Amino acid sequence: MVSQYGIKLAAYLISSSYGDFCSKVCECLLSRGTLTLAQIIRFTELSRENVINCLRVLIHQNCVQAFSIQQEVAFGEAPKIVTQYMALFDNTIHKMRFPKFMQIVSEELGKDCLGIFEGLLQHGRLSLNQIIDRNMQTPDNSDVHAVRESFSRLLNARFVERCPAPEPFLAPPEEETPAKKRGRWTSLDLWDLIGLAPILHIAEAPKTIEQRALATASPMESIRFLMEIDTLRGTSEEKGMESHDIATLEEKWKQDFSDAELSSSGKKKEILWRVNFEEFVRRLRHKACIEYVRIRLSDQAGIVLSAILELTRSSETRLKTDKSASMSINDIYDEVIKKDGGLGMDLERVRASLVQLGCQIPTTGIDETYSIDLKNIIELAQNEEVESVVLKRYGREAYRIFRLLSKSGRLLETDKISDTTFVEKKDTLKILYKLWKDGYLHMEKVSVNGPKQTLFLLWEVDKESLWVRVLDEMYHAALNLRLRITYEQDQEKEILQLPTEKLVGELEKRYKRLRKVRIILESSLMNLDDALMLFHDF
Amino acid sequence: MVPREAIEVLLSKAKTVRDLHLVRKKREKECVFSPPPPPSTTAVAAAAKPPILLTQRHLNTIGEGMSRSLEISSFKRKRPEADPLGLIDAERAILNAIKSKKDLGIWVRDIKQETKLTDHVVNKSLKSLLTRKLIKEVVNIQNKGKKHYMSVEFEPSKEVSGGVWYVDGNLDKELVNVLKQLCLRCIRVQKVATLERVHEDLKKQHVVNFEISILQVFEILNSMVLDNEIIEVKSTGLGEYYSIPIGTVCYRFDSGPGVARGLKVGAFASIPCGACPRISLCTPDGIISPSTCVYYTKWLNIDF
Repeated sequence: MVSQYGIKLAAYLISSSYGDFCSKVCECLLSRGTLTLAQIIRFTELSRENVINCLRVLIHQNCVQAFSIQQEVAFGEAPKIVTQYMALFDNTIHKMRFPKFMQIVSEELGKDCLGIFEGLLQHGRLSLNQIIDRNMQTPDNSDVHAVRESFSRLLNARFVERCPAPEPFLAPPEEETPAKKRGRWTSLDLWDLIGLAPILHIAEAPKTIEQRALATASPMESIRFLMEIDTLRGTSEEKGMESHDIATLEEKWKQDFSDAELSSSGKKKEILWRVNFEEFVRRLRHKACIEYVRIRLSDQAGIVLSAILELTRSSETRLKTDKSASMSINDIYDEVIKKDGGLGMDLERVRASLVQLGCQIPTTGIDETYSIDLKNIIELAQNEEVESVVLKRYGREAYRIFRLLSKSGRLLETDKISDTTFVEKKDTLKILYKLWKDGYLHMEKVSVNGPKQTLFLLWEVDKESLWVRVLDEMYHAALNLRLRITYEQDQEKEILQLPTEKLVGELEKRYKRLRKVRIILESSLMNLDDALMLFHDF
Repeated sequence: MVPREAIEVLLSKAKTVRDLHLVRKKREKECVFSPPPPPSTTAVAAAAKPPILLTQRHLNTIGEGMSRSLEISSFKRKRPEADPLGLIDAERAILNAIKSKKDLGIWVRDIKQETKLTDHVVNKSLKSLLTRKLIKEVVNIQNKGKKHYMSVEFEPSKEVSGGVWYVDGNLDKELVNVLKQLCLRCIRVQKVATLERVHEDLKKQHVVNFEISILQVFEILNSMVLDNEIIEVKSTGLGEYYSIPIGTVCYRFDSGPGVARGLKVGAFASIPCGACPRISLCTPDGIISPSTCVYYTKWLNIDF
């Protein structure tokens, strides 16, 4: 369930890029959940044509996923298949952090890959041929082979992935057998059928219909980053295959699959590729952990953690991994010395950093392996973020009280809180009440029967609900920053239209102010986005 | 049987039934401190013939009132020589009620409820007991506005006084700050210090006029950990911890590079919305909105 300001922020991002109609459709799906086309038309009060166009745009931009399900009908009636649409909130919010993704690609793979990547960010989905065509139109274009090479590097780094099935069919849950769950075929996408059917291959069975739809739509891991099938045509062209040889191949495909599974032109549909957001979120998660450790512990601890995460990244099967895979001290050391600042570290220094990271040195030296508790680092960072807000909003005494309750993790009585934090008893109750009223604390009343009936007030931090509240406030703040950027630009729009040489005197002053304000607001937004990911994605 | 003379005295002074009530009350009061004066001969004579206004019923009522006042006055007037401290009964009853609460003390209203005495009697008795230094007034940290009393032989419990950190019901901030500074100095010198080391250091300095306990030092250190002035870590036995057994809880300054550069403010708290008390009222098009927000305007006009 997406929070109120999460929905508003997502709607604003869609509106900025694709207009108000698309924003309305997106907001409708986020607020009301998965809907059919008829329902979307009814709730948005847009025309059928507009809604269909908006859905096409949103699906193409990976913000909506369609799927088919069998609708329950009265006894005796033929089963009805309906198409439903679900909004992909995470992918929508990712639009705000495209600059971060581009920076990662630029740093790791260079300018050529960045060019291709930018195209995928802009267009949402592209086939390889479209990527090549797009490259041809740029001033500093590369040859086809170079483009394929760059694309291949993006695939190897898992920055790009095969698009999911556009409209997978979800069988009713009771009909699914374990055998049928594997090797499921969709009938709508040719390439998904070629022995590469999407399966429910995740460790835990998805619970909601949306989770099942996403799992069914996802391509298998074995082909998700595989370019080879799609290169058949390109490779055959490069190798100078005769056209009749290519036609023979196509004929074979036609015989193997029904007409409905082919595009209307009778030719096979090209594979579409899109940005693999999961990989970028993983990279950013690692980056956040390294940065936290570097600031709170030491630069050396940051280098050691960076080395471990570099080694273990490819083995991570889930995004929110609690602990890194175990690595031997020698492997860690070999990776550490490759890093900037790592060359001067010896094994003892590496061990000391591992201890700082919470590891224990094994007593026997036979199997010296280490694993880092990433979940703990994330939790510490989250705690600090919220404590920072409490300090700014409510003051130092409230900060002490909040930290006490947060660290203790249980209910504490008012007097106990007052004694432990050295806050006057009369002030303690006022602060606790204020924090409780704003949703930062949970309170319980306990009545004790004795010679006199006494009422005790007990307090605790309910992290689960508080984190949701804080996240919504962050979405709200992110939206506010975006709106303020727009406002400031609107205020000075005539200056932005002037040529540079005319910006003198007062106009120059206003221009410089606008530039400064934009830098402040946009950099604050990127920082805040780090905090958003800390609470939502990490 | 009510003495006839007493009735006659009353009647001689009363003109109406109302007056009779007033007179009766006055007589009750007077009876507390001194025995009533004997009726004069004239008064007795006058009382022999009741006025036409009064009926037998009134006389019966007067008689009952007189007997009650005589009973009360006789109770109050019990001879003080019988009490070892020379207290009258009311004072004794109140002192017993106070003593029964030991080191918790008792509120004035509770004294009145327990002893069933009137406000005037209780207040007078308390004054007397205070003067005789048998009881003392204490400030109850839970209810500073309500007067509490305690027998002198008891010291107020922690629930009443607030503990060693409280003086007259208020937190002794100066004491707490002094001890905090001393702890910080000790940790600064030692780089990493255990609770025991800090306690030893404070005891040696003899800064306070009471025996500072290890628990009290722990409370001070803990509050500084909560304030993020110091951090609590466990000894690894390596490096700076070489002299401290592995696993022992120690205290040190946060030495992270970001801490030194003052990078501890969170991303959300760095922007106006993070500190804003009105964020729940802020909406994109509302009276409070990002485009009209004064906090934003002030923040953006600062020279960064």
